[in-house]
Amino acid sequence: MPEPMSAKNTRNFCIIAHVDHGKTTLSDRLLEHTNTVSQRVLTAQHLDSMDLEKERGITIKSHPVTMTYRAKDGQDYKLNLMDTPGHVDFSYEVSRSLAACEGAVLLIDAAQGVEAQTVANAQLAFGQNLKIIPVINKIDLPSANLELCTRQLEDILTIPAEEAILASGKSGIGIVDILEAVVARVPSPRWSDYPQARILVFDSLYDAYRGCIAYVRVFSGSIKAHDMMMLMSTGQKAEVKEVGIFTPKMEKCTVLNAGDVGYIVSSIKTPSEVKTGDTITIAARPATEMLPGYKEVRPMVFCGLYPLESDDYEKLKAGLGRLQLNDAAFVYSSESSLALGFGFRCGFLGLLHMEIIQERVRREHDVEIISTYPSVIYHIVKQGGEEIDVDNPVNMPDPGTILEIREPTIRASIIIPNSSMGDMLSIIMEKRGVCEHTDTLDMNRVMLRCVLPLNEILVDFNDRLKSVTHGYGSMDYELGDYMASDLVKMDIMINGDPVDAFACIVHRDKAESKGRQLCEKLAEIIPPQMFKVAIQAAIGGKIIARDNVKEMRKDVTAKCYGGDISRKRKLLDKQKEGKKKMKQIGKVSIPPDAFIKVLQNN
Amino acid sequence: MSASDTAQAKGVGGAPLGLYVHVPFCASTCDFCAFYQTQPTAETVLGFLDGVKAEATLVDWPRPITTIFWGGGTPGLLAPRQIEVLGATLRERFLGEPQEWSVELAPASVTVERLAAFKAIGVTRISLGVQSFSPALLEGLGRQHTKEQIYRAHERIRAAGFRSVNLDLMFALPGQDEASWMADIDAAVALAPDHLSTYCLTFEEDTALWVKLSQGKVKLDIEREARLYEETWARLAQLGYEQYEVSNFARPGHACLHNLNTWGMHEWIGLGPSAASQHAGWRGANIADLALWRERVARGERLTEDRVALTPALLAEDALVFGLRRNAGVDLAPWRARCPEAPWPVVEVLADRLVAEGLAERAGSRLWLTNRGRLLADTVGAEIMAAFEIESEQISL
Ligand SMILES: Nc1nc2c(ncn2[C@@H]2O[C@H](COP(=O)(O)OP(=O)(O)OP(=O)(O)O)[C@@H](O)[C@H]2O)c(=O)[nH]1
Ligand SMILES: C[S@@+](CC[C@H](N)C(=O)[O-])C[C@H]1O[C@@H](n2cnc3c(N)ncnc32)[C@H](O)[C@@H]1O
Ligand code: SF4
Ligand SMILES: [Mg+2]
Repeated sequence: MPEPMSAKNTRNFCIIAHVDHGKTTLSDRLLEHTNTVSQRVLTAQHLDSMDLEKERGITIKSHPVTMTYRAKDGQDYKLNLMDTPGHVDFSYEVSRSLAACEGAVLLIDAAQGVEAQTVANAQLAFGQNLKIIPVINKIDLPSANLELCTRQLEDILTIPAEEAILASGKSGIGIVDILEAVVARVPSPRWSDYPQARILVFDSLYDAYRGCIAYVRVFSGSIKAHDMMMLMSTGQKAEVKEVGIFTPKMEKCTVLNAGDVGYIVSSIKTPSEVKTGDTITIAARPATEMLPGYKEVRPMVFCGLYPLESDDYEKLKAGLGRLQLNDAAFVYSSESSLALGFGFRCGFLGLLHMEIIQERVRREHDVEIISTYPSVIYHIVKQGGEEIDVDNPVNMPDPGTILEIREPTIRASIIIPNSSMGDMLSIIMEKRGVCEHTDTLDMNRVMLRCVLPLNEILVDFNDRLKSVTHGYGSMDYELGDYMASDLVKMDIMINGDPVDAFACIVHRDKAESKGRQLCEKLAEIIPPQMFKVAIQAAIGGKIIARDNVKEMRKDVTAKCYGGDISRKRKLLDKQKEGKKKMKQIGKVSIPPDAFIKVLQNN
Repeated sequence: MSASDTAQAKGVGGAPLGLYVHVPFCASTCDFCAFYQTQPTAETVLGFLDGVKAEATLVDWPRPITTIFWGGGTPGLLAPRQIEVLGATLRERFLGEPQEWSVELAPASVTVERLAAFKAIGVTRISLGVQSFSPALLEGLGRQHTKEQIYRAHERIRAAGFRSVNLDLMFALPGQDEASWMADIDAAVALAPDHLSTYCLTFEEDTALWVKLSQGKVKLDIEREARLYEETWARLAQLGYEQYEVSNFARPGHACLHNLNTWGMHEWIGLGPSAASQHAGWRGANIADLALWRERVARGERLTEDRVALTPALLAEDALVFGLRRNAGVDLAPWRARCPEAPWPVVEVLADRLVAEGLAERAGSRLWLTNRGRLLADTVGAEIMAAFEIESEQISL
């Protein structure tokens, strides 16, 4: 069954950039120009389809879409575009999308120039041997600095400046140039003459009615409904129920051929059975070698998530299972806490990732949750040489039995204006980091390569980076080595009782200031209480900081006549209901988002 | 007061019995008010009077009425003749002569003729809804009276010679500063009332002010409210008015007996739309709709809303919740005797903690809140309810 457009006329590419450089907005223009989405229904940042993405104006998931474009050579081309997220926490999404493409459009915000994720994402694309099309975007901005951008392209990214296309996603400048460049410069689909079918699963989604939906790129062969497929990593077979493409909504089609991007619905219902990165083949004529997967990402930040109502445990469990299917970078396993009951230890790529997952649990799965203080994984060497991993401060062994605690570090690339150098170095020092190299990028900017404890950058590092550089600094990082460090477990006590969910691991020298900061913040977040509530931070039983929750001042109904007695009871009942929305720890009601709040406004 | 606590706690026959009549008419609706009322017409007023007559026949009048309260709405809107009819209707039913008979009036409708009618049927106490002496604040509340009308109404009331006169004031109003509130207190005290009610403005759902609050046009400021409460209490004490409840002050011998009866969880009969009752084993309210109330009364139905059976545990719980709003607090002993199965150990732990933290004081079996504690009476009430709830859950297991 010959397809109207052969693989020769197919181009697979993604749009990559630093956060907010305009990828999703530019995608809108491409959808519009190719009539993929009619102007009537096109919304701003159309591909950001999740509510959370729309609200926050950031892309969280990669979004594929198939477009048809008649090029200047008179031929029709099938263009499979993937819009990707720019935030560092989601760089895993980018590498998975890149694996399904032959080319990448690399955007540079004309007013911001090259930033940390521009460099990082460009390197990911180089690493996968993709053709890069550099685009200087937002040239409509009065502050656009084209000269700087082209120089940075050459100096920092070693991309010839004459390859750059000038564009504006907002004003629709350069759209045709970009489409033509994709047709001309991106190679047609690779590895298509492999003798058997090989199909890469680059993402998956759980649908309540249809089970698992695999997002795929067909490299060789084809797949259609009723085929018997096989997952190469496990050998598991399943019948294909439906195949289709993204327009960007899912649209059923008869067959997916080599070079195509689309989706497969199969008889597999269990989320965990379809792994992102796996290769699908046809069971009757299976391939022998899998497609190169991508290196598995390891979560770096952990926290406990607990249902606010213990009855919701199963609901939370099911919700986490579904989110994991949609997000391979997120992991969880069950744990329990004295204060919070039964819940889950969850791993994330970073704090934004953590926040997003929590928000999605609340919204998409309708479970109110409470989270513990975030932690990283520590390696503990015990007396006698035994080594254990601890991702929850509660499991920290007795200090007397510990020989050494090692903590994870990151290797960070930080790009900042020259003028912020002094401030930035002092933040790095304060965060126990060392700066190993400084590279001059151009007349105005330097790139610092440093090693920092992961623990230290979790909370407010990025905010402080932005603030000392007036928004011009940016950072990218990857996990580095483990290093021995003088760490201690800090307990937080409410009215003298340690609350396990609040325990955290800190550097000894910083314990006091951290303890003070935590107590202060908690005292502020916990709503005023009638009885005195002391919040204390302690190390090995020694109090190092304390604060008091604010005293409640007034809570009394003014008027109370006979008619008010049944009414008044209703009012007090309502008040009790409100309290139920909080977690009772000891005698104190803690709002479920206490820790997210502690982390936020610092 | 201690003696009557004991009487109720024992459930003795000779205990006080109140009578509340809700007169649901107002000339217009004030921006803060959530009480049930409508604009009167000749027809609805007659319907109301007939309805009360019919409802009164449905009630069992077990013993003499000790106190009467006509509230509203604005009972003072009734014509002199109607006042007499309503008075006569009730007198046909109840036994004995009440110790106290209160009526609520709004300044704009106080006339010599109406006062004479009240006097004639036996009213002993007038409660005048002053709210504020400041024209701007009155305007801001959507009140229909002027400062001059307040003074004229007050003169007429005094001239008519009732045993007790109360003035209602409100504070923490939008646009009211501390100085203007103190000026209102002083202006009220200058009239030498026997009783003062000072109500902190409450934003009641479905009122014009509530809408303003939700639109952000006015703001809640709890700290300011707390400060105004404290200053009010201190100032009125200085001026010789003894506080006996969160919002109520009286000269010796002038506390409102009807309300004390209610807060002490004694019994009262309520007549009229939206009126609540607590007697003959039931607590409940009539429907807050004049026409529906009449229909139901015609079918022999009353107390159709929020109906609950009175149990010793419920009464004990509410005696604590509402009794602690009073400066005198509650005597736990009689309630303990009447309802030994209530969670007294939990209550004792709570009481100890309140005392330890300076929120309550205790002498023997009587427990009362300090000023700081009384400002938190709702939280204290919620804790008491929680204690009783735990207990009832355990009992039902
Ligand atoms: N002036 C101007 N503003 C633009 C242009 N393109 C995007 N923007 C604005 O830049 C902001 C970010 O745009 P997005 O398209 O969401 O950027 P993104 O790269 O997809 O962001 P992430 O997915 O979060 O990494 C929005 O406020 C856009 O309105 C442009 O060409 N010119
Ligand atoms: C039911 S009104 C009856 C009195 C009469 N209708 C009048 O308004 O003059 C009794 C008193 O309750 C008080 N009140 C009513 N609504 C209130 C509110 N939302 N907040 C505080 N006090 C209120 C007022 O002081 C009012 O005088
Ligand atoms: S405050 Fe009095 S006059 Fe105003 S609406 Fe309420 S009951 Fe009627
Ligand atoms: Mg985006």
